Amino acid sequence: MRMNGSLSSIDLLVVLIYLIATIALGLYLGRGMKSGQDYFLAGRSLSWWAIGLSLVATDIGGTDIVGVAGAAYTHGLAVANFEWIGCVPAMIVAAFVFIPFFWRLGIYTIPEYMERRYHVSVRIVLALCWLVFMACNLGVMLYASAKMMIVSLGIDWTGYAWAGVSLAGHEVLGCAIVFAVLVGIYTFSGGLAAVVYTDVVQCVVMIAGCLLVLVMALVQVGGVAPLVEQIEQHDQQLADAGLSGNRTDLIQPVDTASPFPWTGILFGLALILSPAYWISNQAIIQRSLGARSAFDASAAYVAGALLKNLIPVIIALPGLAAVAVLPELSDGDTAFPLLAMRLLPLGARGMFVAAFLAALMSSVDSYLNAAATVFTNDFYERLRSTDSGTFEALHVGRITTLALVLWAIGFAWWLSKVESAGIYAIFQTLVSFFQGPAFAILLLGVFWRRATAAGALVGFLCGVFCAVGLFTLNQPSVLQWLGWQPLFKIEEPFLYYSIWAFLMTVTVAACVSLVTKAPPSEQVEPLLFRSSPARD
Amino acid sequence: MTPLHRFGDLLRNSLLAVPLPLVRTVILTLLAGLCLWVLLLPQEAVARRDASGQRTANLRPWALLALAIQVVIYALF
Repeated sequence: MRMNGSLSSIDLLVVLIYLIATIALGLYLGRGMKSGQDYFLAGRSLSWWAIGLSLVATDIGGTDIVGVAGAAYTHGLAVANFEWIGCVPAMIVAAFVFIPFFWRLGIYTIPEYMERRYHVSVRIVLALCWLVFMACNLGVMLYASAKMMIVSLGIDWTGYAWAGVSLAGHEVLGCAIVFAVLVGIYTFSGGLAAVVYTDVVQCVVMIAGCLLVLVMALVQVGGVAPLVEQIEQHDQQLADAGLSGNRTDLIQPVDTASPFPWTGILFGLALILSPAYWISNQAIIQRSLGARSAFDASAAYVAGALLKNLIPVIIALPGLAAVAVLPELSDGDTAFPLLAMRLLPLGARGMFVAAFLAALMSSVDSYLNAAATVFTNDFYERLRSTDSGTFEALHVGRITTLALVLWAIGFAWWLSKVESAGIYAIFQTLVSFFQGPAFAILLLGVFWRRATAAGALVGFLCGVFCAVGLFTLNQPSVLQWLGWQPLFKIEEPFLYYSIWAFLMTVTVAACVSLVTKAPPSEQVEPLLFRSSPARD
Repeated sequence: MTPLHRFGDLLRNSLLAVPLPLVRTVILTLLAGLCLWVLLLPQEAVARRDASGQRTANLRPWALLALAIQVVIYALF
């Protein structure tokens, strides 16, 4: 393997050591699994520090490391809103309200709560949305990351000819298969415990690799003050040419050329998508449900929030530093890899590749385990009325994990055939279709005694319909056919879809709930949040 | 021009009129409000006690620190 022709044997050794250590740890943790609870919730034995690091590692995918730096290069610091106001406040609220509440209920999945609070129909609809999204997203993450590794990082597989590997024309798919198999091995073996503890290693490797690039970039530029000065000079040149500048501002105007106007960031991200992600995304919340106590679950979120303050510094700031070091790039997504290749000495480049792999693997393993949990818990066991505490649940969980790995490889293969850039954007937008509505009915269920199953189901479906409708009405082909101007005037207005979908869900769910029969209070009372929690 | 476009334009023009310093103030106020909420949380929601009832860990200062860093970031940038 060569990276822009210059990945040394020491670099390869660093990557190899990282991969072997990760898989060995995952396999070690897979010993002695006896039940579904061991596999899906790590036997409820996880410590706060492991969950906290795992939360951060899961949130940052391989494409994010390169993509966030790329967005920082192109649009400026505003992309850091996704890690700051788009994470920290929601994590603090989750830490003291939702996470300990769900932990005490002893649930495995959020759809399971939906059945207890509302009805089995709400559980099935929500579980189906999550399962389809997570299964497809596995393929998308694998394929997009493999492509990024080959194209942006300049991986050249011809160097493997000595190993008898001939991948001519199929390098991206080959890379995606290797990633899927590596992650599949330890997730299949160790379930959530393997996912969380390998995430700890991956988080450390990811932060170390990115920090290394940042430090070298700052040394190259001469420090923080000269970097700010150079960015401001560059922005002034853009402003003089009639283009937007202000790459150091977090708060961007409504008519900004970037996809991050303050309205979307505040109303769409901070108030809806971010809490929805940290409170109701199964791939995120599952590790806290496996905490050894409600306190550990809360502490993990607080620790994650503290660490989240650092993340933009190590992944967005290198993108800004690249403005000074590499000012003429046509594609922002190449900024971080090029910076790493230009500044890191031989031997340290392997650390950057390991950081990229760590970010990818920590996200894929979480989605893999969460999808297996949703299938086993919300479909298989629900329909067969079996219990997660059995060996059968463990067996089904492992078979499902294996099936999902094969599915993800198949889906990545399909993506390689279709080869349309729009598909990645559609799958990233897909989650905004139902995450806002799902969060809305969760909020109503947790805080409003009067919310009914009919209200939740109709509200959720109307919210999803609203988001899909807005997305469709914003497609160029549809606009041309209707002869309309675009409804939204920014690129990728997914933050706006989530606002309207959330509002639609709350309104419809509240109205339908008020005209349908209230649920019996003895059924609802234990499932409502109380401000004075019981002890563990 | 459909009613949806008219409504969108009305909303957009109203929000365009909001000065960015006011937006910054709103964000800082939200973060400060969260800090206050964390300060007012009951002890049993933020602290762990051992069998004898002694407090062994407290999450409140760490949560406040995470939010305080946010306040500083949004005040500066």
